[in-house]
Amino acid sequence: MSDFLNVSSSPHGRSGDTTSSIMFDVAIALVPATAFGIYWFKLPAVIIILLSVITALLTEFLFQKVTHQKVTIADGSALVTGLLLALNLSPEVPWWMPIIGSVFAILFVKQLFGGLGQNFMNPALAARCFLLISFAGKMSTFAVDGVTGATPLAELKAGNPVNVVDMFLGFTGGTIGEVSTLAILIGAIYLVLRKVITLWIPISYIVTFAVFVLLFGGEGFNMPFLAAQLCGGGLMLGAFFMATDYVTSPITKKGKVVFGMLLGVLTGVFRLFGPSAEGVSYAIILGNITVPLIERVTMPTAFGYGKRKGLPQKKQKGSVKQIDAVKLFVITLLAGLILGGVYQVTKTVIEENENKAKVAAYQQVCPGAVDFVETDSFKQMLPKANSSDMFADGTLGNVLINEALMGVDAAGNQVGYVVNASSKDGFGGEIILTVGFDAQLKVKGIQIMTINETAGLGMKAKEPEFMNQFKDKLVEQFAVTKIGAQTESDINALSGATITSKAVTGAVNAALKFIHTAVVPGSVPVIPVVPEQVNPSDALPSNVVPSDVVPSDVVPSVSDPVAPTPDSSVPVTVESTPAPSEAVIQQSVPVEAPIQ
Amino acid sequence: MKKRTFKGGIHPYDGKELTKNVPVETVTPHGDMIFPLSQHIGAPAKPLVKKGDYVKMGQIIAEAGGFISANIVSSVSGTVKTIEPRLVASGAMVNSIVITNDETDTAVDGFGKDRDYTKLSKAEIRQIVKDAGIVGLGGAGFPTHVKLAPKNEEQIDYVIVNGAECEPYLTSDYRMMMEEPERIIGGLKVILRLFDNAKGVIGIEDNKPEAIRLISEMVEDEDNIEVYPLKTKYPQGAERTLIYAVSGREINSTMLPADAGCIVDNIDTVISIYMAVCKSTPLIRRIVTVTGDAVENPHNFNARIGMNYLDLLEAAGGLKENPEKIVSGGPMMGMALSTVDIPVIKTSSALLCMTHDEVAEFEPSACIRCGRCVEVCPGHVVPQKLMEFAEVHDIEGFEANFGMECCECGCCAYVCPAKRPLTQAFKQARKAVMEKRRRKA
Repeated sequence: MSDFLNVSSSPHGRSGDTTSSIMFDVAIALVPATAFGIYWFKLPAVIIILLSVITALLTEFLFQKVTHQKVTIADGSALVTGLLLALNLSPEVPWWMPIIGSVFAILFVKQLFGGLGQNFMNPALAARCFLLISFAGKMSTFAVDGVTGATPLAELKAGNPVNVVDMFLGFTGGTIGEVSTLAILIGAIYLVLRKVITLWIPISYIVTFAVFVLLFGGEGFNMPFLAAQLCGGGLMLGAFFMATDYVTSPITKKGKVVFGMLLGVLTGVFRLFGPSAEGVSYAIILGNITVPLIERVTMPTAFGYGKRKGLPQKKQKGSVKQIDAVKLFVITLLAGLILGGVYQVTKTVIEENENKAKVAAYQQVCPGAVDFVETDSFKQMLPKANSSDMFADGTLGNVLINEALMGVDAAGNQVGYVVNASSKDGFGGEIILTVGFDAQLKVKGIQIMTINETAGLGMKAKEPEFMNQFKDKLVEQFAVTKIGAQTESDINALSGATITSKAVTGAVNAALKFIHTAVVPGSVPVIPVVPEQVNPSDALPSNVVPSDVVPSDVVPSVSDPVAPTPDSSVPVTVESTPAPSEAVIQQSVPVEAPIQ
Repeated sequence: MKKRTFKGGIHPYDGKELTKNVPVETVTPHGDMIFPLSQHIGAPAKPLVKKGDYVKMGQIIAEAGGFISANIVSSVSGTVKTIEPRLVASGAMVNSIVITNDETDTAVDGFGKDRDYTKLSKAEIRQIVKDAGIVGLGGAGFPTHVKLAPKNEEQIDYVIVNGAECEPYLTSDYRMMMEEPERIIGGLKVILRLFDNAKGVIGIEDNKPEAIRLISEMVEDEDNIEVYPLKTKYPQGAERTLIYAVSGREINSTMLPADAGCIVDNIDTVISIYMAVCKSTPLIRRIVTVTGDAVENPHNFNARIGMNYLDLLEAAGGLKENPEKIVSGGPMMGMALSTVDIPVIKTSSALLCMTHDEVAEFEPSACIRCGRCVEVCPGHVVPQKLMEFAEVHDIEGFEANFGMECCECGCCAYVCPAKRPLTQAFKQARKAVMEKRRRKA
């Protein structure tokens, strides 16, 4: 016998489970979802996953080295965080996003709060939300087979039909790991069989969400809608892999059920009433914050202090009664409903205001116009422009035409055009702008509607100095230059913000390309006939021209080379007038105009 | 039949196959016998002998030193060598009577004489049990005569014989059930005589189907005794979980089993009661399992109290491999020994020699809040939370969060993937709480 024996306090046995065995089990359970993501999204998914995982491990390693801590990357927790973050990213994100996300997750959310076990939010989800807020445009660009499109949930939100079977199998758009419900469920079964997770959270989450959708989804017992809501977005990935994250979910069984229900309600509120189609990430990180509270009210009663007859009742010191749990739940529910409700209440007001702002912006770039109407040709061209090969060669970048309208004066006469175009190549996401043209397609000005660029650099795109470069120019396309504008079509790049300059110019060029394809300079396009607006009896005496309504400088020139033809190019408001002569057009007034 | 159990618990490797089929072998004691005066819960016994006295086998050499205390009976005949502090399994030096064994086993008068318990009064039975120095042999060592004299004698409706033997490696109770079932039933009948309204229940974990079958057959004709198969799960044999499994009643740390109408005694204790009452044989022996992968021939021994562990180890063929850890008792609640040169006492259930110490293998790391400890805790407390208090010695917080409901079963520390010393910290905190209460009292 050796002279020395180990002496320690009991128990002397230990189970085989270790922190790292659990983490690797989670990683293994993520393999089906990861594999499907790679199969479906190909190389970009591989790159994002690798970058995210490697950055997560490296960040943890370096932080622990720098702070002289024991390096714990072998426990697999950083690996899981990196992998989860990657699975929560769109395959379309640029390469630096998973890197920034992983650094944020490991450094700020996990290590700065004390490392493993101390973070109060799921690091991967916190990083995802961080990226969502910071780079909204890039984070919400999804593509399938290289064609940018909306995720099924966004389609659902817009009221469009979706293919539930494809959603279940994963042949759809979304983040790398969330698309295939089937793959996620296979992983989840593994986790349950390995006893890494219990089903309390996922089941209460999913069931509560389903009930919420049935009650408030406005679709009644529409099973395909419900199935699409369940399979769509990050719900399954969130319910099985992120809501069950040990560190940020309640430790008690009752707490797990309450937590799951809370997540279900929050996700429902965010998805159905909120502005975005998705709500799982925010629901879970909000839920994470309530975990200490939930645990407080769901502390189990110790053995022997139950409600059985003849047993002493002892309340935990400083504990709260059952009724407090109900209160907590009601408060959270109300908070959630208020979050969603405020959006609902303000939505119409916001829309109205946005509409007013939009018209005001349009008027800025299309001087003289009081109203904007859609024309036949625009209506036909618009869907084609975005889906056909008008921008497919990529020379203009990732651009889109949102709207194209003809500006008319108070009398309904053509004064020019506005084209609302956007580019997703901005540094901080999408840039939306409106380009105004006169009838000869000369650029009358641009207005930037949405921009989230770097303050002091890219944001200078909004300043007149830059914007005026486009003004009063009649060109086919603009080009960004850094060496000083040589020709009329050259645009001086903003110093330090070439990406922004290019994105803005790309959007303007898209508008140019569209307008040049859609209209012949100087022509008067047809406005779709809306019968109610046509009332011959309202035809006005031809000699009345209210000068205060129609500014003289925007009245179509009499020398207009292309005269409108009677059958196709006459604006509705003048349809009733006799011979379509220039004089007649000039003299027509809107029906509402004061007479005599 | 319905499998009775409790909520929580674990399924550790049970190691019982090493000794479950090895019949109990009696070992003869040699040399000095050591009788620590504290082999039970409560006040130490007071010696009745002095150095140089000759004592007989079965003679009371120390009497109970208080209400909760127990007599100590010499298991051999011989001369009192000295009374001095000696090392015991807990690592403490305990005042002990050392007797030089003359190896004649000269017994006191009437030793081993048959006695008809039905002709004894309740008071006489309790006195015999007290004189015999019987304490709970399951490990806690609570004086049995105190247990058998509850205030609410009429309200006792269950007398439970604890045959769960949930502690891994231990097979002594199992062997007794297989080899001496009539003594177990006899002992139970003696106890039932003390409680007019009680029903006898023998609870056996279902990993011992042969024992369940054997004893069930033997009690078939007894209308007051029944065998309850229990689900195999550690700590099924803990007093509180056993009471819950059998009766559905819960007791907490401030209550006695009698408060829930139950009297619980371990198999070997019941046999000792039988031996004392019906065979005039006080508690001088117990069954000890000598086992573990470092032992040459793992065995169950009928050992005299006071004999040296080394003799048992030798009887088992000694060690075949260098042990990393030696434990007195089972792996879940036993005490690690720094030396085997210590006496067998009333509560020594096993000597476990392990070549591999699972505890030393891992270093504790940060809690990941997996909740496994909450799931397994039979006391329904939240070990994860308690640990936060125990770690910073917040005794009030520990107490307020039901820290005293911890039965130190070790389930939480066993399952912890971060290998945190939960049970170990709770033991310290519980000691501090009890110390505080003592000072207040």
